[in-house]
This record gives sequence, C-alpha cells and structure tokens, in this order.
Amino acid sequence: MPASATEDILRSASVAHEAGSEALGTVMRIGPGDVRAALGALAAGGFDQLVDMFATDTGEAIEVTYHLRALAKLESLFIKTTVAYDGAIESVWEVYPAALYPEREAAELLGISFPGHPNPKRLLTVEGTEPLLRKSIAIRGPEEVQFS
Amino acid sequence: MSEPRLDVHAQPGPCWSVPKGLRRVPKGLDELATEHLVLNMGPQHPSTHGVLHVLLELDGEEVQAAEASVGYLHRGIEKLAESRKYHQVGTLLDRSDYLAGLHTEAAFAMATERLAEIEVPRKAEWIRALTMELCRLASHYVWAGTYGMDAGAMAPFLYIMRDREMILDILEAITGGRMMFNYIRPGGVFADLPAGIDQPIRAFLSTFETYLAEMDALLGGNEIFQARMHGVGVISRETAMAFGLAGGTLRASGVDFDVRRDMPYAAYPELDFDVPVATGGDCWDRYVVRIEEMRQAARMIRQLVDGMPEGDFTAKVPKVLRPPAGEMYAAVESPRGELGIHIVSDGSATPYRMRVRSPAYYNLAICDEALAGSLIADAVVILGSLDIVLGEIDR
Repeated sequence: MPASATEDILRSASVAHEAGSEALGTVMRIGPGDVRAALGALAAGGFDQLVDMFATDTGEAIEVTYHLRALAKLESLFIKTTVAYDGAIESVWEVYPAALYPEREAAELLGISFPGHPNPKRLLTVEGTEPLLRKSIAIRGPEEVQFS
Repeated sequence: MSEPRLDVHAQPGPCWSVPKGLRRVPKGLDELATEHLVLNMGPQHPSTHGVLHVLLELDGEEVQAAEASVGYLHRGIEKLAESRKYHQVGTLLDRSDYLAGLHTEAAFAMATERLAEIEVPRKAEWIRALTMELCRLASHYVWAGTYGMDAGAMAPFLYIMRDREMILDILEAITGGRMMFNYIRPGGVFADLPAGIDQPIRAFLSTFETYLAEMDALLGGNEIFQARMHGVGVISRETAMAFGLAGGTLRASGVDFDVRRDMPYAAYPELDFDVPVATGGDCWDRYVVRIEEMRQAARMIRQLVDGMPEGDFTAKVPKVLRPPAGEMYAAVESPRGELGIHIVSDGSATPYRMRVRSPAYYNLAICDEALAGSLIADAVVILGSLDIVLGEIDR
C-alpha cells in the first residue's frame, strides 16, 4: 500500500496528519486526540495487525508509536503521536485487542493514561513504582548496596 | 448469572468479548445457587512455565473468566539498555528470552546494523542462521517436553532432554555458552566456527529424525494426549490476527506468515524450507505445526552445514558504535514468533530507547480470551500450547 493510499484513508477519516518517509519506513504523525479515529480507519482500510505499540520519553513529552502491518501486502506503517507528560490517549483496544497489554505497560512505565481501557491495571510493576522509563528516573536507585 | 460469551464464529463484528474482570457472583437465584471461586494458579506452579500467575474464576471445574498476572521477572531490560553501549546490550537480551537468546541478539544486531549501515559478511549471515536454527530446535524441545508434562506425560520430557543436550553441547562449542550466548554482535558474530564443528552437527542430524519420530510417537501418538488436544483452545484466524499472535500459534490458526520467508534476513533467502500452516487453531494444530517446524529446522541445518561459505565472520565495526540519529525496526522469527527490536538512536554510544516486540507477550495476552469456557485441566493445556517464556514477557 503506497503512502498516498494510507494518507487517503486518514484524510477520509478527517485526521490531520504529517507524512514522512524515514529510514524506519512510512511514518505518519497525528494528534493525540485522533488516534482512535485514525487507527479505526486504518484497520478498516487493510492494516489488519498491530505489530507493536510502545512509548518513548523524548525529553519534552511522551511519544507513542503504533506499528501497524497490512499482512497481505507486508506493508508496515508507523503511526506516531505526542502527548504531554501524564497526558491521555484514548484506548484502541476495540480496534486492536493486541493493544490491551502494551497500553497497560506504557501507562505504568511512562506515566500516561488510556481512557477506555477495560482493565487499566498495572502490568509489570507493583503499585507505587515510579514511571521507570521516563528519562528523569535514574537507572540506579538512591539507596545503593555497598559490599565491603 | 455470568453473561454468555460471544460466539467467535457467529459474530460478524468484533469477535472478542470485553474483558469483564473477576467477580465472585452467585450463579443464580435457585436453591442450588453457588458462588464462583477465584483460584490463584501460580506464580509457583509447574504448568505456568516460569513465574506466571493466572487468576481463574471457577464455576465448579469450568473457567468462567481468567486473567494473567505477569511481571514477576521484570528486570527493566529496556531501561537498562539505555545505559549500555551497543555491543553490551546482547548480554541483557540473552536474559529476556532465555530459551532462545540468539534470536533476540540477532534482532538487536540487525536493527543496529541497518541503522549504522554496516554490511555483514556472508559467512556471518550463515553462521547466524545455523546457530539460530540449532537454538530453535533446543527451544522447541523444551516446549514439547513441558507440553507433554502439562498433559500428564512424563516420559517425553526425558527424551527431549537427551536430544537437547546434544544441541547445547554444539552451541557451547560454537559460542562458549549453553544458554547465555552473547555471540551475535552488531557486524557479525563474536568468533568463527571451531574447526570440525560439522562433525557433531552431522552426528546430531543423523539421530534427529529417529529420535524425533520416537518422541512424536510417544507424545503425539498417545491416544490420551490426542484426546486432550483435539478441539481444545480453538483460536480463530480473526482472533489470532486481532490479538497480534505470532509464530506457531499464529500459523496454527491458518495465517501463513513467517518472518524468515516474508521479511528475509540472515541466510534464509538462500535456504530451501517450508512453512507449516494449520487451519484448525486448536491445541493439536499448534502441536503439529511446531513438530513440523523442528523437521524444517533440521532440514535447514543440513543445508547450512553443507553450504557454509568461506570468509570473514564479522565486519569491521568500531570499538564504540555510534549509529546516526534515527529509528529502526528489525524482526526475526524466534521459536515463539516475530521478535522485533525497535531502536531509537540519538547518535550517542547508547540506544536512546530500545523496545522489544516480544512474541510471547502478545501470545499470552490471548489467554484471558482463550481460557474462559474451558475446564481447569484444559486451561493448563491451552497455556502450554502458547509456548510462553516469562523472561521475555516481563523483560
């Protein structure tokens, strides 16, 4: 599926986007409020697999990446959106149930939330753990064990 | 009364149900009303393959709802990688999928190479494919043995341990490690193949067919095992795609996708192999697909040993690698399915962000959907058929 066809899908869903071709492949940047509409349209338009979903702390905000694939054509597409720290993105689990786990993981490890998630519990860490993947969290903890 | 579950085959719309969570609701208002029992399976349980904790809501022996609880092995590998240089990350990734460390290493090496535009010598690609296929066999052996144990068959486990030992000895001779290899590095592999390594590999291959047929007869030929597998834990094609399943679990549901064939890497474009696909999507199909995958792996190992090219085993890579700023995704077909590494680089000597697309993580996510409606004994078999490795799920 050429990038223009993907853009047509997003345009018909009236999602403002910024297309780019990077070393990674086709990357589309959209607003955080449009994620649900965009992914719904793309799923209906042939992108039948959510390969992965993860979030990155860019130092200024949280960037969330959805890696989609149209299996029949082996076409990959990366949808990126940026959300403020402690911000919210609507859950896409109804479009891609594969997002159920990664959304829980992104929520706890980067401190964002996914309204609409049916089971918004922590996945990997216990209650009270800081959002570990934020750049402001040091890899070493304040208490370091000394062996003498 | 719990709501009836959607029929995955009849429903035209979304074919999965809303995860409803666990509740201890009385079954009905008649005089024999019973309360549902919430049972903890794990985190220490022989059939959870590591430290998986599954909450089962039971009505008698029937599972009404299930919820997997993971994270017991979370070591923050993705966070730790942000402070490691590119050639040091392999050590961490060995410990993510500890049954197939070479595959995770390879995915990371490939992503780094594509980002830094490093040309890998042909021999290194062949050595990678050879060690990865050996590793796939070792991993599938463990799966077959523990799967038998899940269904109550003890003997196959003893047989597979004998065969797996031969592979681990070969891998030890090549890489220096039995499980934690750190062998596949950005640019190639750490060391050349030792002289005469083809002898033990050929010796292994000469016994492989007989031994696998023996194990398959003991396990797959067993009537009780067959009865436990057929029609149990059916995952439809649509559900498998929607939940992002991978590997043998996806192919058993009728999706013909294999990273080795469809997104070629290493020496696979030069090899002759088939991708087994089944259409039933039940536990038996997942068993058959993986056993056939083992035969195909042995077929590839034979070609790789016969055709091993001469040349360098690694490209010239700077001591401290600084890939240009950008992002890259590379995937391999690990024993559990599509294993991808997504690297975000800012041009420094350490990855800015590393994400592991773990196949077992996505395969496990279906257990809430697949276990509901089954019996406890079947739930154990269904979990086993997903071939999960908790180290990779929790990272």
